[in-house]
Amino acid sequence: MATPEGYVAVKRYDEIPEGGIVPFEVDDDERILVKLEGNVYALSGICTHEYAELAEGDLEDHVIYCPLHGSGFDLETGRVTALPATQPLPVYDVQIVDGVVYVSREPRQG
Amino acid sequence: MADPRPCVILGGGVAAYGAAEALRAAGYDGPVTLVSAEPVVPYDRPALSKAFLQGQKTAEEILLKPPEHYQRLGIELRLGQLATAVDLDRRELVLEPGERLPFAVLLIATGAEPVRLRLPGFDVPGVRYLRSLADAQALREDLSRAERVLVVGCGFIGAEVAASARTLGKQVTVVDPLPVPLAGPLGEEVGGILAEVHRRHGVELRLGQKVAELRGHRSVEEAVLESGERIACDLVVVGVGVRPAVALFQGSGLQIENGILVDEHCATGVPGVYAAGDVANWWHPAIGRRLRVEHFDNAAQQGAAAARAIAGNPQPYAPVPYFWSDQYDLNLQYAGYPGPWDQVVLRGDKAAPSVTAFYLRQGVVEAVVTINRPRELRPGRRLVEARARVDPAVLADPSTDLRALTQPARQAE
Repeated sequence: MATPEGYVAVKRYDEIPEGGIVPFEVDDDERILVKLEGNVYALSGICTHEYAELAEGDLEDHVIYCPLHGSGFDLETGRVTALPATQPLPVYDVQIVDGVVYVSREPRQG
Repeated sequence: MADPRPCVILGGGVAAYGAAEALRAAGYDGPVTLVSAEPVVPYDRPALSKAFLQGQKTAEEILLKPPEHYQRLGIELRLGQLATAVDLDRRELVLEPGERLPFAVLLIATGAEPVRLRLPGFDVPGVRYLRSLADAQALREDLSRAERVLVVGCGFIGAEVAASARTLGKQVTVVDPLPVPLAGPLGEEVGGILAEVHRRHGVELRLGQKVAELRGHRSVEEAVLESGERIACDLVVVGVGVRPAVALFQGSGLQIENGILVDEHCATGVPGVYAAGDVANWWHPAIGRRLRVEHFDNAAQQGAAAARAIAGNPQPYAPVPYFWSDQYDLNLQYAGYPGPWDQVVLRGDKAAPSVTAFYLRQGVVEAVVTINRPRELRPGRRLVEARARVDPAVLADPSTDLRALTQPARQAE
């Protein structure tokens, strides 16, 4: 199966544990995959407040929390739900084709 | 439907920011004016003692949002404007030099002010406090020329300034009257871990000691401790706590007692007047007592809670208070209620340090602190939120998965 245009293959869907946060890189850009209730989300892997790896963070109620200062970002939209971050987290589109998770190279706009 | 009531937010910290955002998000479409004595829009105050002081971030980079953002929200900014009087009956503020600013709704978010030391010599140049961006700019300037820095007070601000000054290569001495720094908020064991981290980074600690006076001609040259010890220094930073900024409201008709008293919806006893952030002493419905919290996260959230009440959608404000402190490469996080507690349970490695501490009162987890163990913060916080009772031996066992405890934890009576 061909990779959808503008996407990169990241991981097999089955290899991501439910509730898991999996780091990956696209062109040296750190990102994360999150699987929650069977859905897969792709977001930037670095907090927009200060440098911190969100792969070390925590999930609660569809929000990913930064491990260092508690900034919260909505998994679906990247919207800030808890300060100190005030800039949204870039989010990426996800397609699952034949059991493989593909993530868009470019962040979703607005 | 347009809300015609003009709302004034008095203050320019993160409580004001949280309120400004949340007022519009909650649908309040009346006129909103933000009045701040500081000449800048709200900024990330916690960065002042750390990234800003160390030169890693500029003033512009720590703004929570650029000035245009408030324009987009339709919020009028009155920056660098001091309020000199308030009349809650006539519902107006007096701004320097005499302008009267009417309001229908007032949110008091004036924050807190550093306690000034009135000891001999503390009026000489070279003595700094750290609260505002202007304070931090002046301190950063002084720090660039200083060689020997004396920090008076080893609370969070003092400890962070000491760490930043050491990181910049300065000689640093810290004086604190407590035998163990931060023993009040964190207990002696955790305070001791932090003291050891500072020692290891080359900070000279003078604990259980007080400064008697400062000496110097054109500027500070030495400090004399009550013990008689003399410490040479060319810069003194004082961090001995803050007081709620209530001066404007003395005699205004508001109840003032360790801050402005408000209920669980951030409302004072005067209709249409609210308070949030460091200045607010509020009734916390989940724990059944009053709290006044001097941390960023509370200010942001309480400002937003007040805004929702103003917009006609009050919800009880009952958070688990949270703060962090970064010193050197150490990350400390705290989630929970302030003491008292009767038991502290530690897990991890104190020497590294990599430690999580649980603070229990009558078996209930009241607070959790992580030092370089961020992954245990939120599971620990959930225990606090659930008012959980957990066997201390289970908490102390590093093989216990805190996440697994969160669900089955029994509720406190």
